[in-house]
Amino acid sequence: MAVSTNFAPPFKLIVPYFILGIFALVVSSFLLFGIDVENLQHLDVSTLALAHIFLLGFVMMIIFGAMAQLVPVVLEVGHFAVDLYYIIYPLLFIGTAMMGFGFYAHPTLLAFGGVVVLIAFSIFLFETFMTILKVKRYNFTIVSVIVSTVMLLIGIIFGLVMALGYSGIIDIDATHYLHAHIFFVLYGYVGVSVMGMSLVLLSMFWLSHGYSLKHIKRALWLIILACGTVLLELFVSLPFLLTLAYGLLLLALSSYLMQAYLLYKTRARLEKDIYLYSILMAYASLALSLLFGVASIIVANEQLILSGMWIWLFGYITFMITGHLYKIVPFLVWYQKFSPFIGKKKVPMLADMVPKRAAFMQFIFMACGVLLGSVAIMLQHNILFDAAVSFFVFGALFMLKNLLYMIRFEG
Amino acid sequence: MYTKDEIFKAVSTVNDPEVGFNLVEMGLIYDASCNEANEAIVTMTLSTRACPLHQMILQWVEEAVLRELPQMQKVTIDLVWEPIWNVTMASDEVKKKLGGL
Repeated sequence: MAVSTNFAPPFKLIVPYFILGIFALVVSSFLLFGIDVENLQHLDVSTLALAHIFLLGFVMMIIFGAMAQLVPVVLEVGHFAVDLYYIIYPLLFIGTAMMGFGFYAHPTLLAFGGVVVLIAFSIFLFETFMTILKVKRYNFTIVSVIVSTVMLLIGIIFGLVMALGYSGIIDIDATHYLHAHIFFVLYGYVGVSVMGMSLVLLSMFWLSHGYSLKHIKRALWLIILACGTVLLELFVSLPFLLTLAYGLLLLALSSYLMQAYLLYKTRARLEKDIYLYSILMAYASLALSLLFGVASIIVANEQLILSGMWIWLFGYITFMITGHLYKIVPFLVWYQKFSPFIGKKKVPMLADMVPKRAAFMQFIFMACGVLLGSVAIMLQHNILFDAAVSFFVFGALFMLKNLLYMIRFEG
Repeated sequence: MYTKDEIFKAVSTVNDPEVGFNLVEMGLIYDASCNEANEAIVTMTLSTRACPLHQMILQWVEEAVLRELPQMQKVTIDLVWEPIWNVTMASDEVKKKLGGL
């Protein structure tokens, strides 16, 4: 019998991940003002700093927090040592801040920040692998957790090599490892984690039933193949392999999109709430970024790639995360504050804990920011991009406000 | 000795906090019986194996039956995954509110 609640980590352990994560989203959104979209293809230090604060501070922080909560649910076993999560978030936060400053001002800090992040990741990897060893019954989501964890391990090794190269500690061409680092961490870890977790969460919140898993299984294999191709390119230096890897990636994400459509089609819950809007926005962004990706291969236009990446990160990944926070955070707060009173007094429903108007404001501001931003990147128009960022900043601030509202909810 | 209907009525006091319906109208309670020693068995499922409230819902069902039926001595929950729950098992009222009708 699957029992998950007994293994649920305490509320105080998970909440810092979400608060720090959204705080990093707010910081990242302000840092977007420093981006020069006319020269975005030359990854300057401010772009690199922003990318790392966004990905490590926001995306990774939230995924790790969600994993702390969801691993027992998905794997149907308790954590190997859940208390290790108390060490991960401070290390990840400090390491990310050091890397951010490192890119901007002191390259030496970059390597030290990288090492601190590496320690945080190593603890996470150790805890996750040890927890996986307890699993008795394997399913697709568990396999996806294993694959993504291995991808992260390989990706951070490339990242550390690059950090050591940037800071001058070892003599290598750091850019040589860039694609491998991006593929393994961004698509291999973040992409696969989101795929695996969304399969569980979407079917749970939408009450989807009776769907086939063939599309998502194909997507997982294609991502593994894409990452393997990038790894091969690193050793044989044949540029067409990179194009092949991007092609495989586009196929993988398209296949995943079809799976998401199946979940949507077979859902029993048809109510229109902020969760539905956020998830639809996320998948619309994924579809748009795929279109841009295909178009960029056909017409060889760099702005299409950059705009597609923008939509992938700030549309797909960001809305996927913010949408799920409107479900996960109320659950955690409800479980902590109200579940002991079941059968004794009236308790709120989870939906009552979401600030509906403010959530809608967050959605509108962020969606405007993402769409306007993609146009600005296409046109290489800095003023338009600043306007887009202004929208996005308001959206991020609303998200922070909404998160705090849900955490403080008293009924 | 309590009837199946009485046990179902007791379980119907338990609401799923996510969807807002009680477990009986959701169609999650498959069967219930009670012997002469006032020991009940409730056969039920959950909407998903990954339900994070898994253990807690089982506890609520047990507590509700003991609370609502004062002579009840013992409640055993038989959690099953076959047949797999789907929305057609829910009441028409639930289907209508979820948007399925």
